[in-house]
Amino acid sequence: MEKDKLKIGIYELTGCAGDALLILDCEKELVDIFQAADIQSFLMAKSDNIDGELDVALVEGSVSTEKEKKEILDIRKRAKVVVAIGICACYGGIQAAFLKENEWAKNYQEVYGKTKMTHTNPVQSRPIDAYIKVDYYLPGCPIGKEQFLSTFNRIIRGNPPELYRFPVCVECKWNENDCLLNKDIPCLGPLTAAGCGAVCINHNLPCVGCWGPLAEANLTSEYHLLKEKGFDDDFIKKRMGNFSGTGIADFLGKIKGEKR
Amino acid sequence: MKRIKIDHLARVEGNGGVTATIDGRAVTDVQFVINEGPRLVERLTLGKTPEEDVNIVPRICAICTISHKYAALRAMENALSVKVPPKVSLFRELMHMGEMIESHSLHTYYLALPDYVGFPNAIAMAAKFSLEVKIALEMKEFGNHIMKTAASRYIHGENPVIGGFGKYPSKDELLWIKSRAIQFMPFVLKTVNLFCGLDYPFVPEEKTVYACCNPEKNQYGFAGDEIILSTGETLSKDDYKKLTNEFIVSHSYAKRSRYKGKPYSVGSLARVNNLGERLKGEAGKMYKQHFNRRWKINPLFNNAAQALEICYAFERIPEIIDKMIKLPDPPLVPYKTKEGKGTGIVEAPRGLLIHSYGSSARPSHPFL
Repeated sequence: MEKDKLKIGIYELTGCAGDALLILDCEKELVDIFQAADIQSFLMAKSDNIDGELDVALVEGSVSTEKEKKEILDIRKRAKVVVAIGICACYGGIQAAFLKENEWAKNYQEVYGKTKMTHTNPVQSRPIDAYIKVDYYLPGCPIGKEQFLSTFNRIIRGNPPELYRFPVCVECKWNENDCLLNKDIPCLGPLTAAGCGAVCINHNLPCVGCWGPLAEANLTSEYHLLKEKGFDDDFIKKRMGNFSGTGIADFLGKIKGEKR
Repeated sequence: MKRIKIDHLARVEGNGGVTATIDGRAVTDVQFVINEGPRLVERLTLGKTPEEDVNIVPRICAICTISHKYAALRAMENALSVKVPPKVSLFRELMHMGEMIESHSLHTYYLALPDYVGFPNAIAMAAKFSLEVKIALEMKEFGNHIMKTAASRYIHGENPVIGGFGKYPSKDELLWIKSRAIQFMPFVLKTVNLFCGLDYPFVPEEKTVYACCNPEKNQYGFAGDEIILSTGETLSKDDYKKLTNEFIVSHSYAKRSRYKGKPYSVGSLARVNNLGERLKGEAGKMYKQHFNRRWKINPLFNNAAQALEICYAFERIPEIIDKMIKLPDPPLVPYKTKEGKGTGIVEAPRGLLIHSYGSSARPSHPFL
């Protein structure tokens, strides 16, 4: 029986550890998760960790040090499938918001001065696909329980995950919420990958974009819509970029005055 | 000269390692390394709106996301001169109890206990202690349920905002939480006895200074506007820099801090050592029964202190809910982004947490 189980490793790079914690937050399913797969490595949960060949590696966090660069390359070598879990692994997360090289270096120096680090050198925070090929992306800040369990379930059977390919707005409409953009509230629902259940709008609050950008989203249209509502260029770009890390860099670099 | 190097400490929240250098019988150097890279959150928030800051900063840590949200809200509301009505304060206290229960249950049962009973993880421990593992998971889930009710989800919920909450739970939802809290008490008391009775090994035991929030009205609790030290000194929240004079070490991206040149301790053990005499009810009885002088000098008693705080939180929840259900749901307190400075302090499960901000006036728009 043990032989049939897929070997799985769960790894944390730089971030809040929320995706690993979310897995431990599956209280009702936790015993089943540990029995359904052979969890080889999961630092937060167990002490008998093995760094060997893996069927699937779930990786959270962004690459922010030289040591993590080596670690992610090593994980890729050992794992048949690599899944980026959470916005930091997928897009770099909040710490990847310094998009220009010198901007990051300047801010780094403001915090750490000129201290030479002895354990590992820093690198500008990047998503894991800046260094390796990623097979699947599970978005979220942190990942959602429902999407994680369905993805895990499919992966341990050797199937690809089925993720939502629509924005938060779709879930918002399922919940029959009023559109906050119609009330002139800057909501990022149209740009943001679904999966959270439109939880902020359900609570009368605008989407802040924490699940990261949706590939199919019309950023230009939202940009102009918010401008028409009186928000300035600086505000809109900052709001769009708060959580999206490198996932929105191209757009922010391109957008100037062009019309929809 | 001998060197002990642990690259990755397992069963902790976060990612750290330890290197100790030993010369003969003397430890000559200890380096505690945080493997996490630099995130520069203190720079990321510059130029953001107060609302965006409150969205972003809880991402510092998932396990204490509510505490970061709470400290940031207290700081921002001080900066913007926002006074929240009593129901908001009570609901924030309730969400904070949820985090304490979730975090302490996770640490005591899942991260710490396997070491004391000889298992590599809590799930393996279930083979021998199936009932304890199952009910402890339910207790953890109950803490998460409270956080979801208050914050909108387990981790990084956005419902708590400057001036109040986006949405309030129904009376029925609150009463369910109250009755569940009461229902849990037998297991909670069992938890306190279990963790206060563990055979904690002697570690190099040494006196340290303990620091925590000093809740108002001589109460136990997890928030206040003052810091209290085991030396008997108190500091106003605005003087926090006397306690957090941060400096950088070359082997970690986590900054360090000393009080009058010496290390100090925070967390459950600091709170129980400084405020334990204020505990009432079952928690008070348990404190009197179990507390002894070793708690002052052995950090492993933090597990016992966490168990005691689980008990405190479970007894506090019905009191909070009884007050909450008598009050109407208040609308968000209106405010303008103006020039100001504010500091907010709370206790995260792992200890004293301080947020401090300066804001400048800018053209305001509702819901920015």
